[in-house]
Amino acid sequence: MPGILVIGEVAGGRLLPASLEAAAAGAALAKSFGEPLFGALMGDAGGALDSATEAFAAGFATLYLVEHASLHSYTAHAHASAAQAVINAAGPSVVICPHTLRAREWVPCLAAAIDTGLIMDCTGVAADGADLVAHKPVLGGGVVGEFVIRAKPIAPRIVTLRSGASARAADAPNAKVERLPFEATANDRVTLLEEIAAQTSSGPKISDAKIVVSGGRGLGSPDNWHHIEAAASALGAAVGCSRPVADSGWVNSSHQVGLSGNSINAELYVAIGISGAVQHLAGINSSAVVAAINTDAQADIFTRAKYGVAGDYKEVLPAFVERVRQLKG
Amino acid sequence: MNIVVTVKQVADPNIPPSHIQLDDEAKRIISPFGIPPVMNGYDANALEEALRLREAHQGKITAITLGEESSRDVLKRAVAMGANTAVLLSDPEWLHADSASVGQLIAAGIKKSGPFDLVLCGRQASDTDGGQVLHWIARYLDIPVITPVVKIDAVEGDTITVQRLTDDGVQRLKVKLPALLGVSSEMNEPRLPSMRGLMGAGRAMIAAWKKKDIPVELPAPRVELRKLAIQIRDSKAEMIPGKTGAEQGAALADKLREKGLI
Ligand SMILES: Cc1cc2nc3c(=O)[nH]c(=O)nc-3n(C[C@H](O)[C@H](O)[C@H](O)COP(=O)(O)OP(=O)(O)OC[C@H]3O[C@@H](n4cnc5c(N)ncnc54)[C@H](O)[C@@H]3O)c2cc1C
Ligand SMILES: Nc1ncnc2c1ncn2[C@@H]1O[C@H](COP(=O)(O)O)[C@@H](O)[C@H]1O
Repeated sequence: MPGILVIGEVAGGRLLPASLEAAAAGAALAKSFGEPLFGALMGDAGGALDSATEAFAAGFATLYLVEHASLHSYTAHAHASAAQAVINAAGPSVVICPHTLRAREWVPCLAAAIDTGLIMDCTGVAADGADLVAHKPVLGGGVVGEFVIRAKPIAPRIVTLRSGASARAADAPNAKVERLPFEATANDRVTLLEEIAAQTSSGPKISDAKIVVSGGRGLGSPDNWHHIEAAASALGAAVGCSRPVADSGWVNSSHQVGLSGNSINAELYVAIGISGAVQHLAGINSSAVVAAINTDAQADIFTRAKYGVAGDYKEVLPAFVERVRQLKG
Repeated sequence: MNIVVTVKQVADPNIPPSHIQLDDEAKRIISPFGIPPVMNGYDANALEEALRLREAHQGKITAITLGEESSRDVLKRAVAMGANTAVLLSDPEWLHADSASVGQLIAAGIKKSGPFDLVLCGRQASDTDGGQVLHWIARYLDIPVITPVVKIDAVEGDTITVQRLTDDGVQRLKVKLPALLGVSSEMNEPRLPSMRGLMGAGRAMIAAWKKKDIPVELPAPRVELRKLAIQIRDSKAEMIPGKTGAEQGAALADKLREKGLI
């Protein structure tokens, strides 16, 4: 009996929360197909992988671990080959991964290497008889495509899931953990020279912050960025930005929210000087309450926002920040 | 240095959601009247980078596209921006090819167009939002792929050093040529074609290859598109009143507190 394999992601010393959403989607699919649910994690042996194993293990029949020093720093080659080792061991019919930045590289590398069907950045997956159906926004999110990967002859079928696509898994008994042997093959064509961490603002990480305060081109100039920082710090929020802000180098791309940036998991998203293009909204999970400040009362952001202020952030934001500080005492 | 740039013609990603039209039969996005299709934005970044590499290292740039006959326009634009040659892959049988097959066909087109050192693609197309085709091209050319690349640091001998975006910064990687890079928008600001370029592009020779010229056997599609549906957002925000901006700002904070959000 093949199975549904969920490959979680360990990064920055922990299990990425999106891995649990992928596990929830995997569990639902396993039930519909009547197949067992497997999990897998890959990384350097020790600390981060151990704690991630604990955080991830619930609900799988087997949790496969690939531990190897070559998986310490991410490279597509090593990740794709480790995933291939898991696939060889588990023989799944479907593989699900969270749609992280690195998954956008190694997952299609893997799919092309083993010549299989892949759909990335899905907002939902379901069984249709033996076939796999995935919903995936296209054209930035203005249109949703319904894609099918047939059961035969495509195996395993691979999907990556957009964060916020499904609820997190409920508690379930922990899996049996199985460590897989892994022979890293050298890649003589690509050499990792160094990792350069971005200069980012203090405060929570954008991917798991409860509140994100985000600024767009409407800020006018990088000199005004301190307004966003001040609002974020008053709210204990992470700082986000739109793509033009990252492209112009006002702040580092690691803050970018949207289709080609981060998917955020926030409960509250405050958008300042952001027009609300579909590609930007693609990064905000559907359950987040959006508050927007924009001079243009017709801006698209107000069709997604719950609360809106039509006004100049230069007047609105300082008073907002002051009031927040008062309220939070 | 011989560089191939893949350029795709796409519906303008800035079409207002209310103006999006679908051809249900063909399962395609139609460019509404008055909003012509454009060169995929990341592909424009890729072409711009190729032009800069050519300025520094000499060589030749080939722009290649797969699409309908009307995608000649995107190649003309590529030539107007400065590409030396252009290749159109167009055959009715290819119109419904999935990402894997599109990649296989483009790889075959690249091989046929001559020797190359570097293939630059966009990190994704703004109509499919797929992010796959570049990987299939690399697979069928059997070359490494790095994406999303935000900077090219150096080209030395048969290696290229690039910066790849990660979740919390960048990685610097040294890659042996030939290689394929998925270009991101941080890399550069694409130039507009010059007047002279535009005039020359009208006369540019564009090689047009069909199925008989690219003899690849395509496997059954791995992924099928069943249907497209327009996402409608018609909600309206509750607008926070106030006589001045400052009043609105304070009222917004009160509202968020009242709702238990802050
Ligand atoms: C393939 C693709 C991927 C993309 N990925 C992303 C992505 O991941 N993330 C992303 O953000 N974008 C992405 N984009 C770009 C997206 O289409 C928009 O261009 C972008 O989101 C616009 O950014 P913005 O809202 O900051 O700027 P603009 O659209 O220029 O909006 C600025 C807004 O500020 C308002 N404003 C001006 N002055 C003030 C003031 N004083 N006070 C208050 N408001 C003011 C204006 O009314 C306007 O609404 C992508 C595009 C493509 C094609
Ligand atoms: N039909 C096409 N013609 C030329 N290049 C393409 C085509 N489809 C995809 N590409 C290239 O592959 C990249 C990724 O495409 P996609 O997988 O559709 O997101 C694009 O940015 C282009 O550079």
